[in-house]
Amino acid sequence: MTRLNDLLDIERPLPPARSFSAPFWDATREKRLVIQYDRIADAFQFYPRPTSIFTGRRDTLEWREVSGRGKLFSYTIVRRARPPFRDHEPYVVAMVTLDEGVNVMSNLIGCAEEDLAADLPLKPYWHPLPDGRHLLLFEPDR
Amino acid sequence: MALSDNAIIGYAETKIVPRSEVDIWELAAEILDDIIGQTGIANDEIDGLILSSSSTGAGNNFWSQTMADQLGLELNFCQTVDIGGSSPLGAVARACAAIDAGLAATVLCLFADTAVAENNGRPRSYGAEWTTPFGYLGAPAAFGMLSRYYDDRFGLDPHALGKLAVAQREHALRNDNACEKLRTPITVDDYVNSRMINDPIRLLDCVMPCDGASGVLVTGRKAAEKRGLTRCVVPVGYGERTNVGARSSIVDPTLTGHRVAGERAFAQAGLTPADIGSFHPYDDFIIAIMMQLEMLDFCPHGQGAAFIHETDFQFSGDLPLNTGGGQISAGQCGLAGGGTNLVEAVRQLFGDGGPRQVRNSASALVTGIGGIPYGRNWNTSTVLILTPNA
Repeated sequence: MTRLNDLLDIERPLPPARSFSAPFWDATREKRLVIQYDRIADAFQFYPRPTSIFTGRRDTLEWREVSGRGKLFSYTIVRRARPPFRDHEPYVVAMVTLDEGVNVMSNLIGCAEEDLAADLPLKPYWHPLPDGRHLLLFEPDR
Repeated sequence: MALSDNAIIGYAETKIVPRSEVDIWELAAEILDDIIGQTGIANDEIDGLILSSSSTGAGNNFWSQTMADQLGLELNFCQTVDIGGSSPLGAVARACAAIDAGLAATVLCLFADTAVAENNGRPRSYGAEWTTPFGYLGAPAAFGMLSRYYDDRFGLDPHALGKLAVAQREHALRNDNACEKLRTPITVDDYVNSRMINDPIRLLDCVMPCDGASGVLVTGRKAAEKRGLTRCVVPVGYGERTNVGARSSIVDPTLTGHRVAGERAFAQAGLTPADIGSFHPYDDFIIAIMMQLEMLDFCPHGQGAAFIHETDFQFSGDLPLNTGGGQISAGQCGLAGGGTNLVEAVRQLFGDGGPRQVRNSASALVTGIGGIPYGRNWNTSTVLILTPNA
């Protein structure tokens, strides 16, 4: 079994919040995942944007809380990284398809190389940031 | 007026180096000097300037104007095209549009970058919020995920990809402008055994960042004829697509904008893939070449490997591929890198290929790739079909 690094001990660059993405980051303080939903298209979008990708309008969008469960869409095993991730390789950068039909980029934790396969069921793992927010990571939903 | 009422009447390229010892303005001056010498067009006849994006110069808020000042050009039309690696092809299309619209008569399309020696690039996009916190390295990680998806769906054949890498390396050996570090032969085994960077992306899948410049001079075809510049290259088809799948939350990363851009370019040119004499795809990663073969209808989606195994990509073969070595084996000149493939295609149609001259110089297909969106393939796809003046 090739163990992959969970990256829980490194100091990551803190993500800024844009004027329109603050609701996402605020909710992470309570380990809640909210994503944008378009009422007209009846569809979710990610990452948070200043307008609906479906209609181009702003008032058709609302924030909805979702479970964060999903499955693996694709991934790469990073074997060469820049600081602060350097010397913590190998680790996984993945795209995760949430049950609501959006793709979210993140890290997978608690995985061995042998576990990784398309459609692997995943659930959220909230990793604390020093400012009280949390970073959305994923772990296998075993 | 149409795209094909215009012509590329000259081209130039600097030696590609891992780190330039001269400033970006001096690299640009080499291009201007060479093009004036080659065409006999005086500097006061150049009334348009279009620059590509540059991680060095475009950090200057007045990039195209400063370039005009440095080069002593007085212009009727001046702009930067910022669609990443698609910018050089975009520049040619915009030059033709500007000439057709009467905004300028003779346009220098100039692609220069010293991204290694002096990188001022500070992209502000989704990255800091949605990818950087996860140790996402940018392009190699994006292509890692894309390749994994391709593998799950169609199966990834490293030997086929290796064949493309070897063909391009053979061409770099015949190109004095290619980065010297890359002018050593490789085998398919070297490719397959090169170390993993972002599984399944290997070292020999990736471009080496370099410094360099290139450029082409565009004018109306009638104006070229009047000056006796009958040896020229005509853009006969162009397609450009940005942000494919913009209105979808999930996009199949193996489907790129080259499908639509290619259909437009081929239709405009009245040509098909079977007519193409040489193929000069934008190559930031080897798999991008295979994906473009699929999207441009050289072979069906997902069947690139079979096509690669049955095709000879050497300059002397059935479908000569990036006959200067491509960016992967000649070096990538930062955001000006797309000019490398464009200039090589033009050179081949001028019949200046020397020890790597292709047999069929009736047409050439060049592509561009620019930018990496969130978790997909690439932002802009461009396709340009060129023919000699006929």
